[in-house]
Amino acid sequence: MPWVEINKAACTGCGVCVETCPTDVLRLDTELKAFAVYEADCQGCFICQWDCAFEAIIVRIRSHQPGES
Amino acid sequence: MRIMIRELQTDVLVIGGGIAGAFAAYKARQSGARVLLVDRSYFGRSGCSALASGVYPSYMPGDKEEDWVQGLGAGPLVNQRLLVKSLPVMYEHLMTMDRWGVKWLKEGQHIARMGAPGRTFKNGAWMTEGGPQMMMGVRAGVLQSGVEVLNRMAVTELLTSDGNLPTEGEIIGAIGFHVRTGDIYVIQAKATIMCTGPYKFPYPWPGSTLGYMPIDLSGDGIAMMLRAGAQLSRLELGGINLNPDYLLCAPGLEALMPSGAKYVNKDGRRFLEDYDPKRMEMTSRALLYFAIAHQKEMGNIPSMDLRTIPSERLELLRKVIPIILSNFEGLGLDVSREPVPYSYQVAGTAGIFGAGARITDRGETTLRGLYAAGVCSDLAYLPGGHLSFCSVTGHWAGEAAGQYASRTEATRLVARQVEAAIAAIEAPLKRTDGLNYEPVHRGLGELLMRTVGLVLHADRLNEALEKLFEIRADQVSRLKARDYHELAKVWGLWQYCQVLEATLRAYLYRTESRVAFIREDFPVIDNINWVRMVVVERQDETLKLWDEPIPESFHLVPVRPTQHLHLVFRERISSHALG
Repeated sequence: MPWVEINKAACTGCGVCVETCPTDVLRLDTELKAFAVYEADCQGCFICQWDCAFEAIIVRIRSHQPGES
Repeated sequence: MRIMIRELQTDVLVIGGGIAGAFAAYKARQSGARVLLVDRSYFGRSGCSALASGVYPSYMPGDKEEDWVQGLGAGPLVNQRLLVKSLPVMYEHLMTMDRWGVKWLKEGQHIARMGAPGRTFKNGAWMTEGGPQMMMGVRAGVLQSGVEVLNRMAVTELLTSDGNLPTEGEIIGAIGFHVRTGDIYVIQAKATIMCTGPYKFPYPWPGSTLGYMPIDLSGDGIAMMLRAGAQLSRLELGGINLNPDYLLCAPGLEALMPSGAKYVNKDGRRFLEDYDPKRMEMTSRALLYFAIAHQKEMGNIPSMDLRTIPSERLELLRKVIPIILSNFEGLGLDVSREPVPYSYQVAGTAGIFGAGARITDRGETTLRGLYAAGVCSDLAYLPGGHLSFCSVTGHWAGEAAGQYASRTEATRLVARQVEAAIAAIEAPLKRTDGLNYEPVHRGLGELLMRTVGLVLHADRLNEALEKLFEIRADQVSRLKARDYHELAKVWGLWQYCQVLEATLRAYLYRTESRVAFIREDFPVIDNINWVRMVVVERQDETLKLWDEPIPESFHLVPVRPTQHLHLVFRERISSHALG
């Protein structure tokens, strides 16, 4: 399954990822850092990673094997 | 929650911001119309176009028309004459996008031609930075033309001149809500163009935590057109949704296969020889996806061997199709060392090859004031859901809608329809004791996984329909939404259920097999009785289906009246699969 890792130190809170995420996963938190509020809707498309000018987001993927939950 | 209602007026409303919507909006704007494009996500980032496989098939001056007809349009259900008419439009779009800053692979000053599965000649232009860069270039060009954009707007219903659904009047706009603020937008438009793309419903396959439908691919536009009374066609031929093992999206085979990638099974055997020994991995796109999913279902662990791809080409591919190669790296797989498991599996009903509103070569649906383009339409029976055919149908719809708007007066909205639509939008928010979205979605997915697969059968399809009605009545209609984001998902599931009913009915109606549409109970490709289109229309509360002959005028190459067993049922493959 895909998920996003946000490097809060690198995130400038510019909001580009919040604006462009196709499945509306991201918001800015109270400290104005990107935050995956709807992480279950992440489709692993890497759009946020490409659109981030500060390399503050990495999309991670976990493979699944048959039988694994 | 107090909801703000905002009223907007425009000449042409475009719903959906993939490549079809982009060119529809651009052409309508060029005709002088005021154009508003609304997108449930973000124009340039939503849906399938931004995640495209890096290839835009395009005609170029000097190409032979017969190569295109033979290479891409050979099927008996293809409008070959229209394919020929589309060719110069594709080239115009390629050049337009080049001007807008889309980066193409070039040889000197010229855009290079690359091969792709299913083509007999090289006809693809490659994006050197993939679909994301292409759509941002397209976005820039469209915005510069003066098209207005409203992002994060989930349209829920078309508005009609008589206030009725289905209507006996015309389409005069649409209504929906902003998925973040919850504001309701009532949009009055002289012409409306639906460009909402395919429907893809990922099943929750065993062992996977994936299986949730992205909120932007639920077939909303198709459901709205059906409710409004537009005829739909090609639903049964829209393809089966095949997802890669790990992700909800990751295209790329169109660029990998012509680069020399090979598919092998767990024994290292190139299994494509069972399906298309002549063309192997360069077989048609539909058959390639089918074969991979089929091997996966049989437990043969299809893997992609990229070791035969020259290193400089692999470097290029990292830019052309970044998603797929990022996936491998993210998973810790080294493509230079060994074949990597990469299979597509059946993940749902889908309209990825074009399934939806029946349209003319001007993008007109069967309802006045309503146009459609791209894969939420039947693509006017162009060969399938390639970016090029989406942009071309968008172009035609935009031109026609712009002309229609220029000679049409705005029609007053019907207050009772607007009020009812607002109440419907708000209902899941008010249903505080309603059902949660996740288990209902999962339950529907599990039903479909059990009953609708790669190989279809009437018994299973009927079971799916029966249970769908139960789930829709007892569960989907009782879903609650805790916020606007979830409201969009609830609406998506509700819309999807309607498209699904129409699709299952169309699956049942076509009593043959053809390409990726495979009926265990009707295993013959029947070019005697089934060179026909299946049409679906809502009449009052029920769906009516009928078939019509594919017009002879479609064909430049005559159809041979043959009947033969679909290759899936031929002995070599079926002894593994179905016995």
